[in-house]
Amino acid sequence: MTRFAVPTGIIAFCGLAFWLSTQFDKVPPILLRGMQPADFPQMVLILIIVLSVCVALFDRPIEHGRIPATVWVSLALFATFALAAQVDLFLGLGIFACALAWTWGERRPWALGTVAFVSPALIFFLFDQVFNIRFPRGLLTNLWYG
Amino acid sequence: MEPLIAGLTALMDPNLLVLLFAATLGGVIIGALPGLNATTGAALLLPFTITMEPIPAIAILTTIYCAATFAGAITAILINTPGTSASATTCLDGFPLAQRGEAGRALGMATISSTVGGIISVICLMLAAPLMARMAYNFAPPEYFALTVFGISMLATIGDGTPLKNIIAGAFGVFLATVGKDLLTTVERFTFGFNELSEGIGFVPVMIGIFGISELLVQAERLSVERRQVFMKAIKLPGREDYARVWKTVLRSSGIGTFIGILPAEGATVASMIGYNEARRWSKKPEEFGKGSIEGIAGSEAANNSATGGAMVPTLALGIPGSPTAAVILAGLMVHGLQPGPTMFTEQATFAYAIFWSMLLVNVMFIFVGLFGAKIFARVTFVPVQILWPIVFTFSIVGAYALDQSMLDVYIAIGSGVIGYFMRRFGYSVVPLAIGLILGGMLEKRLGQSLIMLDDQWWLMFARPLTLLFFVLTILALFGPFFWRRLFKQRDPMVSTGE
Repeated sequence: MTRFAVPTGIIAFCGLAFWLSTQFDKVPPILLRGMQPADFPQMVLILIIVLSVCVALFDRPIEHGRIPATVWVSLALFATFALAAQVDLFLGLGIFACALAWTWGERRPWALGTVAFVSPALIFFLFDQVFNIRFPRGLLTNLWYG
Repeated sequence: MEPLIAGLTALMDPNLLVLLFAATLGGVIIGALPGLNATTGAALLLPFTITMEPIPAIAILTTIYCAATFAGAITAILINTPGTSASATTCLDGFPLAQRGEAGRALGMATISSTVGGIISVICLMLAAPLMARMAYNFAPPEYFALTVFGISMLATIGDGTPLKNIIAGAFGVFLATVGKDLLTTVERFTFGFNELSEGIGFVPVMIGIFGISELLVQAERLSVERRQVFMKAIKLPGREDYARVWKTVLRSSGIGTFIGILPAEGATVASMIGYNEARRWSKKPEEFGKGSIEGIAGSEAANNSATGGAMVPTLALGIPGSPTAAVILAGLMVHGLQPGPTMFTEQATFAYAIFWSMLLVNVMFIFVGLFGAKIFARVTFVPVQILWPIVFTFSIVGAYALDQSMLDVYIAIGSGVIGYFMRRFGYSVVPLAIGLILGGMLEKRLGQSLIMLDDQWWLMFARPLTLLFFVLTILALFGPFFWRRLFKQRDPMVSTGE
């Protein structure tokens, strides 16, 4: 099924992007030198569409196994991280790291503690102190920034 | 001569030397860690280099490139798992040798061959890059446009996907490069009201996503894979007999690797395959290949390491990446505001030569790392993925945020990771996407400049000899392999019958 489904998805995406590109502002012809802003992306999108049709018609299909449950769980954890990061980036990272290690089979408390607390804390201080990176304020980072 | 000495002097800062040694160790660890390779390592470390001066920043990235490419051999020999795809052919003879109790000899040969290959290629880089840059000095926008098209056409043959899928992935990268303000007209495109997108999608979060985060999802599929280590007493340097047997192979593979590396977008993996095949073809004992041939290890390792120097030639001289990792290094150059191309050897000559020297230095450094530390680094492979990948994710996210200190970049990195995973699953390599993203901006800019220069008469591009040459090369790169395959099928009945 993926033989046609993937190229169809790509073509649909390109179709949408092509339509969006038709909404770009245009440069008046008298001022125009070279191409209109939409010309180049449209050329690329047309190329992708043509090649996707070729893939659907001529490319040898690949056998795919089912996506393992661990991948779906990891994807769900990405979404969890994105939500938790709204409260605090490092809270999100700690929750994600701990949950990922747990779902991948790690049960040792020291290992879970390392990925959930020690590594995010070390990385935070490395970037904050050495590289002078200011992280977004949140529940935990406010404890440091005051 | 003056820039050569100035480059060496710039590198002789003790702090920088310590940093490069640390980067060599880091590169070897990255190359030995499961799922990480030179490209992922360079992408993950790119944000760390942003606050540095250009010389240490790019020297660290090139050091990671060389060291991680070499380190793939350690795991290939000891646990039959190539740390990087460039060492896949090293498994064929390295692991059988290790099983026979000759792991030390195999590692010694891999180290020496890699070092010789690396040094030869850096010398070629020092000679060829300024020459190539001088040749490109008179290029006008149409020549640059055609050259960039040629660079992108080489994407067809790289990566894991089929040529068609690779070009789609590359074109998708070029499409992503159109997000943001149009350079010539300043009209905003695909920004959806996000101010952060006005400057375009950043290379760094996308690279971190497609190389780092997508690999996390790939590793999620392989949690049950077991790794078996071969016991190794000590490294034993190859004997005089071994050297007498392999010196021609090492030189040949170094030449092959350097040449393959110079070709745009081709990298160490292709070089090692060709180097290995040629070693077998010229060997007096081809029957030993695949069963523990010392020539096989030398052929593969000399080729893959020499490709690193070769790949830097078009990267620095023309701004066309010679390999996936060179694409990350090119992104690093751009992030630091450096413009690769002919002017690099006139306006930033000290910088260029400092990079050459750093590559030469790292090739010497990993003799010691390889010979004395291989046993320790092989243990790195056994770091549980359950601990390693959550930490890699934390690094990836903080790295993606650090460049512009924008949460949007974090979400772009995650989105790119998810897209990258599904691309890989459906046979679309992510490497062309990265290269397309880097070259896309250049391609559009040079096309626009060409059209202005030629007064919108695009067909005049074909009247320029060099432009025409690059277009012909593009057609050969795209369709050549297809015709060669058909030709060989007709000539070789064994191939056509599939025997």
